[in-house]
Amino acid sequence: MSSGGLAVPAIEVSGLGVRYSLRLTKKTTVHKSFVSLLHRPDGPSHFWALSDVSFTVTHGESLAVIGPNGAGKSTLLQVLAGIIQPSTGDIAVRGQISSLLTLGAGFDQDLSGRDNILLAGAFLGINHREMVRRLPGIIEFADLGQFIDAAIKTYSSGMRARLGFAIATAVDPDVLLLDEVLSTGDQVFRAKSRGRIIELMGSAKAIVMVTHDMIWVTEFCNRAILLEKGRIVAEGEPEEIVALHQEHSERARIEREEEVARLLAATPAPLPGR
Amino acid sequence: MYRVATRRAPGLGRAVLAPPRAGRPNEPPSRPSGRDGDWFVLLFWAHMSTKSSAQTLRHTRRPGAPAALAQGFRDTWTHRRLTWYLVRADLKKHGADTVLGNVWWVLDPLLQLAVYTVMVSVIFKYNIEAYPLFAFAAILPWKWFSSSTNDAITSVVSRERIIKQVSFPKIVLPVASTVGGIVNFAFGMIPLLGLMVIFYPAHLNVTLLLIPAVAVVQFVFTLALAVALGSLNVFYRDVGNLFRHVLRIWFYLSPALYTADRIAEITTNHAIIGKLFALNPWAILFESYHDVIYYDRTPDWAQLGSLLLISIVVLCVAVVFFKRVEPAFAKVL
Repeated sequence: MSSGGLAVPAIEVSGLGVRYSLRLTKKTTVHKSFVSLLHRPDGPSHFWALSDVSFTVTHGESLAVIGPNGAGKSTLLQVLAGIIQPSTGDIAVRGQISSLLTLGAGFDQDLSGRDNILLAGAFLGINHREMVRRLPGIIEFADLGQFIDAAIKTYSSGMRARLGFAIATAVDPDVLLLDEVLSTGDQVFRAKSRGRIIELMGSAKAIVMVTHDMIWVTEFCNRAILLEKGRIVAEGEPEEIVALHQEHSERARIEREEEVARLLAATPAPLPGR
Repeated sequence: MYRVATRRAPGLGRAVLAPPRAGRPNEPPSRPSGRDGDWFVLLFWAHMSTKSSAQTLRHTRRPGAPAALAQGFRDTWTHRRLTWYLVRADLKKHGADTVLGNVWWVLDPLLQLAVYTVMVSVIFKYNIEAYPLFAFAAILPWKWFSSSTNDAITSVVSRERIIKQVSFPKIVLPVASTVGGIVNFAFGMIPLLGLMVIFYPAHLNVTLLLIPAVAVVQFVFTLALAVALGSLNVFYRDVGNLFRHVLRIWFYLSPALYTADRIAEITTNHAIIGKLFALNPWAILFESYHDVIYYDRTPDWAQLGSLLLISIVVLCVAVVFFKRVEPAFAKVL
């Protein structure tokens, strides 16, 4: 849609920090909050899911965010999408954002695929007429055939992922945020979605992608950042970052194995005669 | 909207929001793009960013109450299509899995009416003329109220997954629950009119046309509670359990199945209790419904008007509260 020549980056993040309160969780009840008023629970009351994260993404760039589980990758995408407010730092995201993060997870199980497309459009804030206009394209891309009028609960996980991907990319976003999108789906769809992503990159769209699939990182992203414990450990060429990530996870695996061996050695032998 | 950037303190961070393609001089940033939808998203994104900019400058600063209030109403208006979709989705689901489908909308209040009629007029021998009509005039609005508030309580938590994926104004969720109840109420009008035409043609009166006026007051009152309860339940999951019991007690303590005069009789020696009874919003609403449906007279406009005013105030407080706690939803859920 827009054609190059943009000096202003699509995404600018500087000094971003996100703090979670450990006291307020979904398990809270009135009873528990009275208890915790009386006895201050031990341990830290909050933790930083992200701290001091800074990076920029220019138009046409595709950034991969990789790292071990719990590193804060999904939190980062949620902040970029405006779902979570940052506790510190600045974020600027320019343009329309499409953020069906974990594709298909937000679908309404009892509604048909068609209704879910319209509902997702309304959640994204897209005009009804616009969404109706894009409906045939989405249905075609998702390739669901007769299933489009069946309830989502009858869909396979691959079908759900396909529909989610079709919606997220069909709304023609300036900034596309993808979380673990491409792990499902068959070969044909993977090829198709690959084509769509390259297309979006070509039309000067910015993409931030979280994935565990390292092939995607090296093939489709032109930059990568490695996130560990809420901090950026490294940033650079996808190949280098993937190599570093694999090195780190290999080291972590060895450490874990040593830990297991140590714990096993420390365990007293079972009592004889039992 | 885009003035946000100018409000930042010098040297503190960068522009929090810039319009897309702002770098190009031949496209003025204030011009909406051809795609209305984009504009909605942009507007909404601008709201979000406004908030985060305030947070960036001073960590504890939150939007003031008037700003939060205006924001809440603006969100509801710009996302009215979403509200409508949510209502429609709910209606579609409602009849989908049952044999009789939407016939239940009509059947449900009728069965309830049968139970109350047998219990009250046959077993308790509470004798008033045309009791089924009297009871029905209260059962219908109460069903709307209880279903709307019960839905609203879980409206936010049940959309947990989409809340974590897309940023949208969460206030549409309890609003949709309340609006959805109107359909419930409207369907109830079918058996009500049927009952009147077949058994009580004498009660068919022009005052029936005042039902919407009473319903408007009920709507605002219900909405206020729905918004407050929907956000509270995110933090305290036992709100739902508690409110179920509150609802049951509330219904029996309100003049739904008996006349308000009966309360007056009982409380002649305890004026204070009588006064407390009169303060109950549902005493006013039930009496108003009884007035227009059963007694064929106009309701007490002064009482109804003051209830409307109080409801509007409570609604404003609830909306401000909702907007204040909304940023925490995605983290707590």
